[in-house]
Amino acid sequence: MKSKERIQYLLSLGVSILIALAIGALLMLVSGHDPVQGYRSLIEGAGFIGPRKAQAIGNTLYKSAQLIITGLATAVASSAGVFNVGGEGQMYLGALGSCYLATLLVGVSPWIAMPLCFLAAVLCGSVYAFIPAVMKVKLNINEVISTIMLNSVAIFFCAYMAKGPLKTTERGITAGTQRISSVFQFDRIIFSNSDVLSERLRMKSNLTTSVIWIALITLLIWYLMSHTTLGYRMNLSGQNSRFARFIGIRADWLGIVGMLISGAMCGALGMFENFALHSRFNPEFSNEIYFDGMLVAMIMRYRPLGIILMSFFFGALKTGAVSMQQDIPSELILIVQSVVIFLMAAQEGIVARLRVKHARKHPSIAKEVG
Amino acid sequence: MSEPIVSFHHVSMQFPDVLANDDISLDIYPGEVFALIGENGAGKSTLMNILFGMNKPTDGSVVVKGEEIRSFSTREAIARGIGMVHQHFMLVPSFTVAQNIVLGCEPRVNGFAYSFSAARKTVLDLVSEYGLQVDPDAQVEDLGVGLQQRVEILKTLHRGADILILDEPTAVLTPQETDELFAVIRRIVREKNMTVIIITHKLYEVMAISDRVGVMRQGRLVGACRTSEVNEHLLASMMVGKEVLLEPFSREKPADAAPAVTVSDLFVRDDRGLMSVNGISFTLRYGEILGVAGVEGNGQRELVEALTGLRKPVRGEITVNEQRATRASPGRIRSFGLSHVPEDRMTTGVSRDATITENLVAGKEGRKPFSFLGLHLRKGKMKQYARSVFDLFDIRAAGVNTRVGTLSGGNMQKVVVAREFSFDTPVLIISQPTRGVDVGAMDFIHRQMMNKRGEGCAILLVSADLDELFRLSDRMVTIYEGRLTGEFDPAVTPREEVGRSMMGLTGEDRTRFEKTAAADTRDT
Repeated sequence: MKSKERIQYLLSLGVSILIALAIGALLMLVSGHDPVQGYRSLIEGAGFIGPRKAQAIGNTLYKSAQLIITGLATAVASSAGVFNVGGEGQMYLGALGSCYLATLLVGVSPWIAMPLCFLAAVLCGSVYAFIPAVMKVKLNINEVISTIMLNSVAIFFCAYMAKGPLKTTERGITAGTQRISSVFQFDRIIFSNSDVLSERLRMKSNLTTSVIWIALITLLIWYLMSHTTLGYRMNLSGQNSRFARFIGIRADWLGIVGMLISGAMCGALGMFENFALHSRFNPEFSNEIYFDGMLVAMIMRYRPLGIILMSFFFGALKTGAVSMQQDIPSELILIVQSVVIFLMAAQEGIVARLRVKHARKHPSIAKEVG
Repeated sequence: MSEPIVSFHHVSMQFPDVLANDDISLDIYPGEVFALIGENGAGKSTLMNILFGMNKPTDGSVVVKGEEIRSFSTREAIARGIGMVHQHFMLVPSFTVAQNIVLGCEPRVNGFAYSFSAARKTVLDLVSEYGLQVDPDAQVEDLGVGLQQRVEILKTLHRGADILILDEPTAVLTPQETDELFAVIRRIVREKNMTVIIITHKLYEVMAISDRVGVMRQGRLVGACRTSEVNEHLLASMMVGKEVLLEPFSREKPADAAPAVTVSDLFVRDDRGLMSVNGISFTLRYGEILGVAGVEGNGQRELVEALTGLRKPVRGEITVNEQRATRASPGRIRSFGLSHVPEDRMTTGVSRDATITENLVAGKEGRKPFSFLGLHLRKGKMKQYARSVFDLFDIRAAGVNTRVGTLSGGNMQKVVVAREFSFDTPVLIISQPTRGVDVGAMDFIHRQMMNKRGEGCAILLVSADLDELFRLSDRMVTIYEGRLTGEFDPAVTPREEVGRSMMGLTGEDRTRFEKTAAADTRDT
């Protein structure tokens, strides 16, 4: 029964995506662009064909990794019944905290400094997630509102720090902390495939060694959510907190734990982003990274494995859209994305209607189910 | 026989997963009391909801007073003179009786302004016309369940109903209130030539009140006949499709064992902040089933929640297995050796979004063999365990991965009972274990409880079903308005005496009650 449901869901997900792409094609036609060319440059940009394949694939993987972390962060909190919309703020604080610590640890061995920075990022993120979690659990304050509000607080606080007290002394940089020692930075790991080009000219992708950390975190969270007693208890608390309490599980406490883990993951991602790509804390590092992941999580109904897989699809879509932009307005790809989400939201109702119709035609099947 | 007032022609109702009504053809004649019986999920309510216009049948037609219904809506049904009293009353608690009765078709002054005095007069007219005594100025929230039901009936009469549908009207009534309701039904049928359709699953009520009876099973109408031509045994076997007899259990008197649970002078508030348990004390001993009888809403829920840690008592002491359980958390009280089958299985007893396996293992996930070091979840062991319970308890579902929310009430209850009984605790608090559960599952659950009793467990059974209490209890207490009003030995006590005690009637009250009861009988 459950696997049947899952297949049905994946099927309608596939259909939704196809319809969304068709609508995208239609819009390209209407606005006077060639849809074949459009989707070609999308696929090229995502790294499946074309001369810059390796670099583009690197970028797709980079974006996917981002989505996986943020998607799973949403899912962990949601599984325990708390909806974390504040990942963006937690990410900012994690980033600032770790970058600042890194500037203090100049000269320390990276084997010691990196774990310390990671710890700082995780702590900053989870402490900041703890505030709305406690407010929710103890005072029954809606966490959606409080986390959204706390996002602004964190982002503007970090921007202030980067432009004020912690601003770098380097010239030409208007906002950002001191440069992080290069031994702490993550190396980029996928280059363009052209061996003829000199080292200097090789096109680097955004993928860095931080992806190893991300893979480890992903594995850990997936295991936590689906194969541990803690994940199981968080799930029960999220599904029905009254039942959880009744059976002897401390549902309120687990809601807080879910938020702490979620915040920690966001904080860690903030560190990776800045250590890898900006070599300092850059207050403009995130273009609402967290919200993309949140959408993926919602589409996949907070199922860890689904989020991981869907992140690759959306990662490709997002990366491809950037190169598509040269010919076609990127708003189009946003429309495609929105239509997929819209159809996914609608599919439940549509499928239910179809099932009734089907059952009317074949009553014998329905009876077996009933 | 005259023309039928209502006829169903080959009516079918298809819900996404269930065929709730399967090709039903049935005639109901004017001036009769027609009883519709069947187990839960047999499709009785669905059929009546179609008649009342709440559902549109997927197939077939319904003819009321010679006219086929084309558009199904409750407005249409009311216009045709159909009235329905639902299981859950639809009254505004803060309004008076009169205001509730006229709600929706209020009398107007000058065609515009609401006239309270006219409303009052309308109600007084109705009261004298039908002989249904209620005070039009009383606030509905102050009335007992029986009177609220009367208000519901008056409401439908005010709207001109001559076909009255009652959906399980006696589920919340005491035996005395049931008798009063039946007197009312007889009167409106005889004097006003109304047609009454009563949905129930209590067989003796069918025999007591109805002229004809229709039996439903799994969406089909198994048969319809004159009540005088059948007996309870025949109806029971028609309902379940096989011979079922709830035979009494043979038992030995429990020895005077040690106390398992003691409660002294307990006070508990309900959700509204009102004191709903008012100084209850009792002792539950090992090896006995102590039954708590009472009409719902007299403090049973709060008492059980206080015992199991779901609600903090205001005052009083609770000990479970000689450990102080007052104000302890549910998890802590469970660790003292107590399990709990809650009355509200949908929101408290299960997690509907979780699978059968997950629900069965809940509470034991950190123990062997389901976890390694209390951290790693051994899913294979969980599934293996769930499969064995699934077979043992005969849970009807596609498999152990089915979501519990999709199960029927009886199967969901089996999941709850299976889980709670498997904790193997010496104390069991069991609340409404068989409400909405069919006869087969009921018998099964009763047997499980007797087994637990045989093992020496102490069982507190809270139920609104007197049959169940009489069948299982070694000792019975009655609860009324948050106080214990009597203790009985079910083997020697007549039902009526327990019924009176459930209403808080003792001594002088009792004589008063008997007078009114006698007056009622004279009326009819």
